[in-house]
Amino acid sequence: MAKRMDIGESALTDEDSATMATAPYNYSYIFKYIIIGDMGVGKSCLLHQFTEKKFMADCPHTIGVEFGTRIIEVSGQKIKLQIWDTAGQERFRAVTRSYYRGAAGALMVYDITRRSTYNHLSSWLTDARNLTNPNTVIILIGNKADLEAQRDVTYEEAKQFAEENGLLFLEASAKTGENVEDAFLEAAKKIYQNIQDGSLDLNAAESGVQHKPSAPQGGRLTSEPQPQREGCGC
Amino acid sequence: MSEKDNGENLEEEATYEDENEQKPEERSHVESSKEKEQEAVPMTRKRPEPKPPSQSAATEKSTADTPKVSDSPAAQTGWGYWGSWGKSLLSTASATVATVGQGISNVIEKAETTLGIPSPSEISSETKDATRGGENSDDNSADEVADGSSFPIAGALGVLSTISTAVQSTGKSVISGGLDALEFIGKKTMDVIAEGDPGFKKTKGLMNRNSTLSQVLREAKEKEEQQTATEVTMATEKKAHYGLLFDEFQGLSHLEALEMLSRESESKVKLVLSALSGEELDTLKEEMEQLKEAFSLAEFFEEEEEEKKGDEEFTKEVTELFSELHISTKPDKLITVRTSAHEWIAQFNSSLPKEEKESEDNQEVEAGDGDHDAKKSVEDIHAFAIRSLAELTAYSIEMFHKTAALFLHGQKEEVTATDRAKSLSQLTIVLCKELSTFSKEFTTCLTVAGVKEKADVLNPLITGVFLEASNSASYIQDAFQLLLPVLQISLVEARTELSQQ
Repeated sequence: MAKRMDIGESALTDEDSATMATAPYNYSYIFKYIIIGDMGVGKSCLLHQFTEKKFMADCPHTIGVEFGTRIIEVSGQKIKLQIWDTAGQERFRAVTRSYYRGAAGALMVYDITRRSTYNHLSSWLTDARNLTNPNTVIILIGNKADLEAQRDVTYEEAKQFAEENGLLFLEASAKTGENVEDAFLEAAKKIYQNIQDGSLDLNAAESGVQHKPSAPQGGRLTSEPQPQREGCGC
Repeated sequence: MSEKDNGENLEEEATYEDENEQKPEERSHVESSKEKEQEAVPMTRKRPEPKPPSQSAATEKSTADTPKVSDSPAAQTGWGYWGSWGKSLLSTASATVATVGQGISNVIEKAETTLGIPSPSEISSETKDATRGGENSDDNSADEVADGSSFPIAGALGVLSTISTAVQSTGKSVISGGLDALEFIGKKTMDVIAEGDPGFKKTKGLMNRNSTLSQVLREAKEKEEQQTATEVTMATEKKAHYGLLFDEFQGLSHLEALEMLSRESESKVKLVLSALSGEELDTLKEEMEQLKEAFSLAEFFEEEEEEKKGDEEFTKEVTELFSELHISTKPDKLITVRTSAHEWIAQFNSSLPKEEKESEDNQEVEAGDGDHDAKKSVEDIHAFAIRSLAELTAYSIEMFHKTAALFLHGQKEEVTATDRAKSLSQLTIVLCKELSTFSKEFTTCLTVAGVKEKADVLNPLITGVFLEASNSASYIQDAFQLLLPVLQISLVEARTELSQQ
């Protein structure tokens, strides 16, 4: 378990109950993320690695959607990521489409060792574009980068696909944790940048961002990101 | 619509201050005596209510202008922006919401009367119309325990029995076992709202599309967050914020997701119905009516059997009802949290006789057993109770959400939508009864552990547990109602499949 941050003055001696209940609440923004992509590409594992810093070897299929949250820091601003980890199974496709609304960021995941998951990206992208707002930041993630020997999709072609479609792109590994942090952070940076330059209107319906202007900017807080709650129901 | 209908005043403190600012001359005399209780229970709150933002702006302004208000007015104003997600929706709905808000305050008044909780007019003749604050119930139980404090055990039981006597004396037939009736408040709320506002009847509960339950709960949670972030509170208080805990168990997210599925199903149903006509439409409408009936939770008003249920019975009942749904998931999380809460209570109860016999320093011996020691403070018990209620409610809503997702994934139906509705309605009742049982067990723990505590420490905690249990029950019932459109669309789709074959 990673270190906790304490926002209050009082000593938190009660370890087990404090972990959940005294999680820091002084963040300035909430960003809603969705994670999409074919079944078995490792969406839930990416989330688990991000929130728990652990690899979950045996993850059951997600039903509908699962959730995870973590507070990160971008340009000195605390941002709470509210992550919707959708089911990848085709039979849930109609259901998961309902969850896209109001997402500020979308992580579109494929498996670098399975070409079919890469080939389906255009369909996922269509959904993401149609069901979110124009400002939604989409980041393409090639997962399982640790399995270099089984690679089926080259970095270059995916990079090109991302550029053609105006997506951020990273290869990552939920197993080793490589680039997992960055995947979530890069998207957050982009969203935050959109807020700063005014291209993302916070008052617009379904911007996917909530702002809490009155939140105190705790000077004594560490900048270490805070894992909160695991998202996968396993 | 008066300002006291403002749904933002979820925290008692806020409610109190708000009322205070409206009638300073009336309230000021109560202030000093109440202050302590208010501080002791930041977690006691009324069920959140929807409200139009225009109003909140007005209230926040006046709050900021009032010199009396002690905690930061700046913080209060901030929440106007914070809630901007639902802003546009809310403002279009202000009329409906205003009526609803009024309805609710009536209901709370009614419910409190029903429960034998004296209205402020009984406590203080000058605060006649201040019926909103939870301090009413605090006062009531405060008196009760004060009376019984010289006989610790009798006093403990006295809290419950005196209230239940008061309840019976109101002549309402609903209550048979005293405070367990609290679980029905949510249901009653809906009914009275429906009574007072025919237009609202159709949507039932707080689920008109313009102000969803998750929105309302989100605002409540955010308010708690705000308080937690700005105030330097004791660790015990932090532990016991229901709204924050409910969110951290992902209850809010699952509720929001369920609302999304519900809304989408609802519009699909409308679309299908608009495309039908004649006999086909009539048949479908009839079937949908039947389905709706299964959602009425009629059994809630039947006399409850007071049989004490064993530990396995809840598990058995829930598992069985769940299996009747024929879906590929199990309510394991729910059962686990429920079981561990029960074990906690059992452990607490079994530690009691020891505690009484042995001198106080001997209790140290038991402290080795992690958090299962006998030295639980009333704050610990309260915190655990609130946490368990939040967890149980969050997992119940998660279960409903998963259920909805599985209903919608379009596999061939093995059970009819109406049968599923019946099982789910039964499940809702089981869950609500369980919450009621928990509230009773936890408050018994509190009364037993708190025999040496002052009434103004103990009673707010007891009230808090009862109120959050009652809130929990109504959230679960509201979430259950969200499943109606989901089952409607699965019924419609099953029919279309049939006619195509």
